Amino acid sequence: MDLYQSLVTVNPVTLIAQICNLFLQMLLVKIFFLDKIKAVLDARREAADKEITDAKQAREEAMVIKAAYEQNMLESRARADSILREAQQTAARRGEQIISDAQRTAAQMKQKAEMEIAREKKRALNDAKDEISEIAMGIAGKVVGRALTPEDHAQMVDHFIDELGDEA
Amino acid sequence: MDVSINGARILRTFENVPLFGTVQITQTLTVSWLVMLIITGLCIWLGSGLKVTGISRRQAVAEMGYHAIVNFVRGNMGPEFDRYIPLVCAIFVTSIVSNLISLLGIWSPTADLMTELAWGLVVFVLITYHKIKASGILGYLRGFLDPIFILLPINIMSECFTPVSMACRHFGNILSGTVISTLIYAALTVASNALFDALGSSLPVAVIVTLLGLLPAIRGYRQKKKRIMIPGIIVAVLGMLAVITHLGVRYPWLTIGLPAIPSLYFDWFGGCIQAFIFCTLTTLFIKQAAGD
Repeated sequence: MDLYQSLVTVNPVTLIAQICNLFLQMLLVKIFFLDKIKAVLDARREAADKEITDAKQAREEAMVIKAAYEQNMLESRARADSILREAQQTAARRGEQIISDAQRTAAQMKQKAEMEIAREKKRALNDAKDEISEIAMGIAGKVVGRALTPEDHAQMVDHFIDELGDEA
Repeated sequence: MDVSINGARILRTFENVPLFGTVQITQTLTVSWLVMLIITGLCIWLGSGLKVTGISRRQAVAEMGYHAIVNFVRGNMGPEFDRYIPLVCAIFVTSIVSNLISLLGIWSPTADLMTELAWGLVVFVLITYHKIKASGILGYLRGFLDPIFILLPINIMSECFTPVSMACRHFGNILSGTVISTLIYAALTVASNALFDALGSSLPVAVIVTLLGLLPAIRGYRQKKKRIMIPGIIVAVLGMLAVITHLGVRYPWLTIGLPAIPSLYFDWFGGCIQAFIFCTLTTLFIKQAAGD
């Protein structure tokens, strides 16, 4: 024969046991379920936070690198410009120098040539003078019939040259 | 037919235990331990093999449950009461499993007032602790004279009846479900016996009933008319059961399956809603006690 409690019974032992059961159950649920899930969720949150922080940091680093790169680019462009400008200036200077050198050389050459022409002309004149004077002496000697003195000679040549020069 | 509705079965009785006297080990306790085993096993299963990324379906369910319970407590009490999450979770899960275990034909520990009273007392201690913490011991005692000293006995009663009312609400609902289920079961047994005794009293009657059911069942099946087929099947099954009864196998056939329909409300719906109500009241009372 099974024994039953009546429908509503106050049973202190059951009451105390159920309180203990509740606390035990609380502990078990906490240890085996809530804490574990919480740990995983925390780990996930930390991982996500870390990822975000890392991304932010990487971004900042990239920004720094980019700024440095842009600075470098700017500097090198400026440097390239200055080099180019210097080169242009040097080239211009050098060109001017070459031109002036050339002009000077040309002028020198021209002067030299003129001097040479003048010298040639003078020599040609002297040669012509000598020849003419010889011819004239010959003619004059034949005409006069005597040998002319050197004084006569010089006088005649000069006279002749003068007349020649006027005509020329 | 006699219908007797009893409390928990007493499994063992120990006499002359020091401090307690007579100690009765009832089904309430053993089933409670079974419930705890089930819950702990479920917790271990859900809480094992957890991963941070690439979670399994089991872990998704576990996290969903965790979020549900955390959001429930935070929604009712605010984030500063996170330490009560294990308590609320334990009460809720224990209540649900205890309520639903009756579906397996096992005595439900929540059909014993002592179970709910135990929970109610724990909540009562917490409520009192928070009241004293919020307004000091003197302020707490002065609260009983509020708004006028004449109300002192009523205030004391209302304070003491908080756990009792919480416990009785839950207990009453579960017990009423159990009582109604028992009554329905008993009524169906009586009806079943009467029906099959009448139908099975003579074999020709039983066979005729079977045939009367089979004919429209077959016709309905051929014409694909469920309206004819289903009643035909029911009548045919009744007739066959009557034949079996006539052959000497006497069983309350109507109690198979049919009690599940009211149990859908009394056990499933009632059980879940009572667990939810108990936890809601727990959180709200504690919050109220600490709040002002």
